Amino acid sequence: MTVWHLDPETIRRYAQGAAPPQLAASAEAHLIACADCRAALAAHVDARRVDTIWHEVADRVDAPRRGWPERALSRLGVGEATARLVAATPTLRGPWLLAVAGVLVLTALAAQADERLLRTFLVVAPLGPLAGVAVAFAGGLDRTREIGLAAPYSALRLLLIRTAAVLSVTVPIVAAAALALPGSPWRAVAWLLPTAALTGAALALTARLTPVVAVAVVAAAWVLVTVPIAVAGHVDAAFGSGAQIFWLAAAAAVAVWLAAARDTVAINLGRTG
Amino acid sequence: MSTVLVNGVTKSFGRTTALDGVDLEAGPGVTGLLGPNGAGKTTLLRMIATVLAPDRGTVTLLGRDPSRPADRTRVRQRLGYLPQEAGFHRGFTVFEFVDYVAILKEMTDRRPRHDEVRRVVALAGLEPVSGKRIRALSGGMRRRVGLAQALLGNPDLLVLDEPTVGLDPEQRLRFREMISHAGEGRTVVLSSHQTEDVTALCARIAVIHQGRTRFVGTPAELTAQAAGRVWTDTQRAPAALAAWRTGDGTFRNVGDPPPGADLIPPTLEDAYLLLVGASEREVTAA
Repeated sequence: MTVWHLDPETIRRYAQGAAPPQLAASAEAHLIACADCRAALAAHVDARRVDTIWHEVADRVDAPRRGWPERALSRLGVGEATARLVAATPTLRGPWLLAVAGVLVLTALAAQADERLLRTFLVVAPLGPLAGVAVAFAGGLDRTREIGLAAPYSALRLLLIRTAAVLSVTVPIVAAAALALPGSPWRAVAWLLPTAALTGAALALTARLTPVVAVAVVAAAWVLVTVPIAVAGHVDAAFGSGAQIFWLAAAAAVAVWLAAARDTVAINLGRTG
Repeated sequence: MSTVLVNGVTKSFGRTTALDGVDLEAGPGVTGLLGPNGAGKTTLLRMIATVLAPDRGTVTLLGRDPSRPADRTRVRQRLGYLPQEAGFHRGFTVFEFVDYVAILKEMTDRRPRHDEVRRVVALAGLEPVSGKRIRALSGGMRRRVGLAQALLGNPDLLVLDEPTVGLDPEQRLRFREMISHAGEGRTVVLSSHQTEDVTALCARIAVIHQGRTRFVGTPAELTAQAAGRVWTDTQRAPAALAAWRTGDGTFRNVGDPPPGADLIPPTLEDAYLLLVGASEREVTAA
């Protein structure tokens, strides 16, 4: 049974971290056994500091070390909650990205041998990022879709976060494949503005359709318009300088609309019926 | 005021009618939806969880109309949902996954969010596996992870679709305890085709069969409907709706008993069999 107590000065110095090591060790051993001295110590301790230390300890114990994508995003200034949402984006899975990269690289390499395959690349290139947006919200691939649909998180914000995540990964893949294209350098970037405009159009359609259906509608329209153009060999009609201005205007229009309607638009991520 | 009010709800998928004029009312406590596979329970629960809209009829949740986007968000802020096939990001740990759902539930401030994640992880008995990857957990443990995420934020309305499916008897008992605890002071609507779970947990039940509400009331009221319609015999009664040999060698018959039959007290399962069997006969006759 404890019959003696720490004197107030020792408690004060211990609380401030100013006690010499031997005294601190002795005080600590006593505090473990003496409720009275612990109560006396509490008056000298900054509750907020203790709270902060406790959470740091609890986080080290409970919350596991974040994966490298989340850590990398945090270093780039992305908030930890947003980084977690990005990490859960179904599109950012190795097999899917490898499939996109494989198709595009093969098409780009084949274009070296045949001019028609170059046109095919330009038609197919925007479909990679676009399909990535659909995959990010596809029921069969987004395992937590049902739980997410019942959650109150802003559908527009989630849509933009995932779309940005998909584009930031798929666009470099397409760009890398495009570098292998033969001919003038503009062809390596001619697909960029159409991709931005098509993605924007799909985002705008999610006010009425689910992302998967919206992407399907936009992709179908793109293929229906560009395939006959590509077959006829009039690539400039879809990818020339005049067309590029059109795609830029379309992408800018969607961006302006999204900014203006962000508080009122109801995005449909999959509530059916 | 009822937390859940469903009036004349109809829902079809192509040519299949999943719900055909269903009514349901649920308030604080545990309300169970009982019915065979394909009865329409999951469709109804998905409507109560705001992920599915009815073709016709109205759904009112926590006094709000989920067909309006603003009301739907308000409802979702007070809702916990465990889907029948809850999917997980299997590469996440238990803590990371529950934390991810907490972010979707608008808990953006990291410290209180992590406190809440710890609370529900402890409630579901998952503390020892909090740092484990979900892909390494058993089916029962994953079900607990599903329940933990549903309990985030102390929701006023908890929707649990077949919460005990695939669990062994011990896990089911543990789950019953957790659900019973969750039902104190909030509205829980769960579905099951296990009459034992419903008997053990629910103050009110609704029997759904072939897209229609066949019964709404207490388990005792449903059981009472089978009074005088369960008997034992040395042989299977040809007229019985259902009959099976019990452990003592006699047959338990459920249906319309012959004169002088040795009547025994019915169970909820007997009453359920009679109700569902009668519905099927109606459909066959039609």
